Order: sequence, then C-alpha cells, then structure tokens
Amino acid sequence: MDSRLRARSEKKTEKVHRPSRATRLFIVLRKLKKSRLAVVGFGIVLFAAMVALLAPIIAPYDVQRMFYGKEAFPPSSEFWLGTDGGGRDVFSWVVWGARTSLYVGLAATLIELLVGLSIGMISGYFGGLIDEILMRITDIVISLPTLLLLILALSMFEMRGVHIIILVMGFLGWPLMARVVRGEFLTLKETTFVEAARSMGAASWRIILRHILPNTLSTIIVLVTIDIPSYIFWESALTFLGFGDPTTVSWGALLNTGQPYLRFAWWISTFPGLAIFFVSLGFNLFGDGLRDALDVKLRE
Amino acid sequence: MTLRTYIIRRLILIVPTFFLTSLIIFTLIHLAPGDPIRIMYTASRQKVSPEIMASIRKELGLDQPIPVQYLMWLSRLLRGDLGYSYITRESAGKMISDRIWRTVELMILTEIVSVTLAIVLGVICAVKHYSLLDAVSSLGALIGYSIPSFWIALMLLLMFSLQLRWLPSFGVQTVGATFHSFLDAFLDHLAHLILPVGILSLGWVAYLFRLVRSSMLEVLGQDYIVTARAKGLKERIVIYKHALRNALLPVVTYEGYSIGFLLGGAAIIETIFSWPGLGKFAVDLALNRDYPPLMGLSMVIALMVLLANLGADIAYAIVDPRIRYD
Repeated sequence: MDSRLRARSEKKTEKVHRPSRATRLFIVLRKLKKSRLAVVGFGIVLFAAMVALLAPIIAPYDVQRMFYGKEAFPPSSEFWLGTDGGGRDVFSWVVWGARTSLYVGLAATLIELLVGLSIGMISGYFGGLIDEILMRITDIVISLPTLLLLILALSMFEMRGVHIIILVMGFLGWPLMARVVRGEFLTLKETTFVEAARSMGAASWRIILRHILPNTLSTIIVLVTIDIPSYIFWESALTFLGFGDPTTVSWGALLNTGQPYLRFAWWISTFPGLAIFFVSLGFNLFGDGLRDALDVKLRE
Repeated sequence: MTLRTYIIRRLILIVPTFFLTSLIIFTLIHLAPGDPIRIMYTASRQKVSPEIMASIRKELGLDQPIPVQYLMWLSRLLRGDLGYSYITRESAGKMISDRIWRTVELMILTEIVSVTLAIVLGVICAVKHYSLLDAVSSLGALIGYSIPSFWIALMLLLMFSLQLRWLPSFGVQTVGATFHSFLDAFLDHLAHLILPVGILSLGWVAYLFRLVRSSMLEVLGQDYIVTARAKGLKERIVIYKHALRNALLPVVTYEGYSIGFLLGGAAIIETIFSWPGLGKFAVDLALNRDYPPLMGLSMVIALMVLLANLGADIAYAIVDPRIRYD
C-alpha cells in the first residue's frame, strides 16, 4: 500500500505547471458537465433539496393529521399516494421526510468530518506511536459490522429519535474518512512545499491546516458525497428496524409503520422506499461524476 | 521480513486487537444510563423487592467497580462463558451456536452467487469497455447499491410471496408441512433461501462488479498485457491467465473485509424474513436491551471479522509476491 501511495505522490510532484485555482475549478466543472449521469445525479439532489425546503408549501395536508375512517386508503385524487394505517397522507409524509433524510445525511456527515479529519490529520502528520494507536482503534471500528455497532450504541440510550441516531452514526462513521485523510497526509507531508513551510518555521497546526489540508479537499468532497446517502440509508434502516422513534416524520418510520399493512396497502411501504432509492441514486451518480472529474482514487 | 514472520506478527497482533475490541464493546454498553438489574426485570416483566435486587446485584458482581467488572467479564469470556440472557436465562453460547449456521449458510451462498456474477460480468464489461452491456451493467450496479435492501426485500416479499405466492415469506422451512422425502424438504428449504440470498447478493454484486471491472481495466492497460498480446498469445489466455489473475488481487482483500458488510445486511434481511440467524438475534437482543448475550454475540462476531481480515491479509501476501510486509 505504501509503495502505491508513494508512486502517487511522485506523480503529483512531477507536475511543473499547476493551473490557478479558478482554472482548476473550471476544468472540474467542465468535466462534470460532460458526464451526463453526474448532471442527472446533481439534478436529483437539487430536486430533493427543493422538496425539503418547500415542504410546507408542497405538502397538501398536515403530516400528523389523521383522517378518521380513511385509514389505509389507496392512492386517489384526494390522497395522491394514499393514506397510512393511521389515516395520514402518505404524500405529505414523503415530502416532509425529505427534510428529515437530508438533515440526517448532512448532520451525520458533519460529525464524521470533524472526528475523521482530526484523527486522520493527527495520525498522518505526527505518525509514530500516536498513529499506531489511532489506527488500531480505526481498524477495529471499521471491521465491526456497521449495523452491530449502531444497534449496540443505540440500545444504550433510553430515548429514541433521529438526533440520537445522527450522533451515533456520526461518531461511529469516521474510520474510512480518517484512513483516507491519513493516507493523503502521509504522502503530502513528504512534499517539498511542506518541507519549505517547515524550514520557514511554520507551526505544525499551520502546516496541517493551511498547507496540507487544502490539498486533500477533493478527496474529502468525494467521500462526503458518497457518505451522505449511506447515512440516509442507515437512518431509515434503523428506524425501520425499530431503533428510531416511529412518530418522527421520516421515510424509515413510514416503512416501519407500513410493514404490517404490506399485504393490504402496498402504497405505504412503496413510496417512502422509492424516495430513499431516488435520493441515494442521485448522490451516488453525482459522487461518481465528482470522483472522475476530480480524479480521486479511493482505494486505501 | 519473510512471509512467515509476517504471518506470525499478524497473529500476535490479533491479541491486542481482540482486547481493544472487548474494551470498546464493554465500554459502549456500560456507558448506558440506567441500572442493568432494573432493566433486567423490566425486560422480563417481573416485580422484585429492592433487597432481592441488591442481592442479585452482588451475586452478579454488579456492585464491583467497573474495571473489576470488565476483568470479570473478560475472564468469563476467555473461559467460553458468553453470559446468560436477562429474559430467557438461556446461555448465550448455546443461543449463538443454535443460530450461527443459519447465518453462515446465508453468507456462503451470497458469496458464491455474488463472486461468480461479479467476476463474469466485470471481466466481460472491462474487455468490452464502452459497449452497451458495459453501460447497462454499470448503471445497473449503481442502481443495485442505491436500492435500500430492506425496501426491495419488502417489495419482493409483497410480489413473490404475498401476491404471486411463488415463494415462502418467512423462516427456513414451511411450518406444519410434512415432507415425503429428503428431496422435498431440501427443495422447500431452497425456496426459502431464494429471496434472502437474492437480496443480499444484489448490493454485494453491485459493489464487487465495480471493483472487478475497474481493477481489470487498470490491468488491461499494463505493459505486460501489451507484451503478452505482442508475442501472439490467444486473447483468451491474455485475459484469463495474465489479466484476470492480477485483477483479482484487490478482490481477495475485499472478500476478507466483506464479512462485516454482509453481516450488517444479513441482520436486516434476517429480520424481515424471520430467518433464525445471528443478525436477527442481534437486532432482537438490542431491541430488548438484553445486554449479556448481546455483548457475547458482539465478541463472537468481532472475532469472526478479525479472523476473516487476517485470512484476507495473509492470502493477499501469498498471492502477491510484490507486497512488502510493513
């Protein structure tokens, strides 16, 4: 693995001419635009974001309102996607669920970013014993099955809800980020510009944050784009399994309450799942395009 | 370093990793607010006086400081005592050994299906790069791992089990059915396997396929492939003997790491299909806050994953002589 990383760093330092930041951004955007799938992906993400933002305007009914006597009604002109077992409008629920899902994806990613970046930076830059210890811990957290770790941590809490899930996911989801950032730091700290900064007497934190970190940005952006849908997936999976609060307006919660009705009311389970699929596909398409455009290799 | 010292070093490294894992799992559970004894009796819905609670606490060693409790738990663990359920009072070790083969069965079948499909499709798509099949498969893979497994499970369950009634919807064997021969029972079991294995494979194939394809593409661009072609080797031999062998190296590593990934997926699928395996067991234990068997199970799973990772690393070192053991 080391040799491969070294090979990459050599390739990087060989480049003599380096276009300005604005030019590089332009090149990336042009590459992105050329990938039709990435544009589609970005469109889907944008659409989901709009739905989430405009949920109060788009949703025809109050999500929590129960229409008595109209429980588990099939899709009709009155209820576009039907009603659930409690007589709530599925369409409104799916619209508001976009808000929860995107919030979960972004918030958990933010926590992951804070933890993963710190650990990766410290490990990669300082190396030695601290690196050995941090990487051992990372190895363990990464090797334990995600779901097992999540349910272990979630079963500790008395309260249930989306915030607990976000916290637990964020604090357990950092290992890949930490490893990748560490790898980048390992190669970048040997470069000439870091040596130059060090010889000028720059402090460690300055070298880390101002000189090395900006150079890992494209990798981090790609990782974040592919992590968001996985958090959305895990939140809905956990809520579906019963580790969430079924009254939270989220897609997983609707799938959870809809499961007993599967035989009689297919629409309750179908549409929230379709929404998760749609949003994940959007992020994954966009992430793939970004990875190609930014030329990021994510093999550890 | 020779291969042998590398393997020995890796084996020795398992020991601290195992202890660190046990520490993490123990800490996670003991950070939990609330009194385990109270949880224990709430879980089993019994009313017990405070005096009895205190005596049980003493009996179980819960009045000891946390580090002492950890050492006690660890020593029991090392002697093979995985703890007892708060609710059924059954031994966790027995509960796990009752269920482990069901999960192993699911995982082995999933691996066979996924690896075969992924390699065949991956190689064809890499060789016929930019063909229609390549485009369709790549998009299919993207869709395959964007689809939430639990949702597609519900949808297929609805379609094939509830509507069409082609496949059974839960368990490992039809309840109450009488089988006239071993073959009948086997076919019935096979029918129960189709949906869980199919759905578990879906995501994993998508992932492996992309890996095989990109790794194959990388290898096909190497100089030694050009050389092999230049010296007039048949294309078949170039692809299967020269390229594929090298392209599969990263796949070997990922296979070792796959067990953790597959176990997570298995938990969800097992729960939906009431498959009596470790995954459903873990979910049930966590939902019931039945901690002792949950901790034991976590350690068993952690050990499985550790050994699989070790196996992958060693396999990688053996198949790739270029690797440097550092």
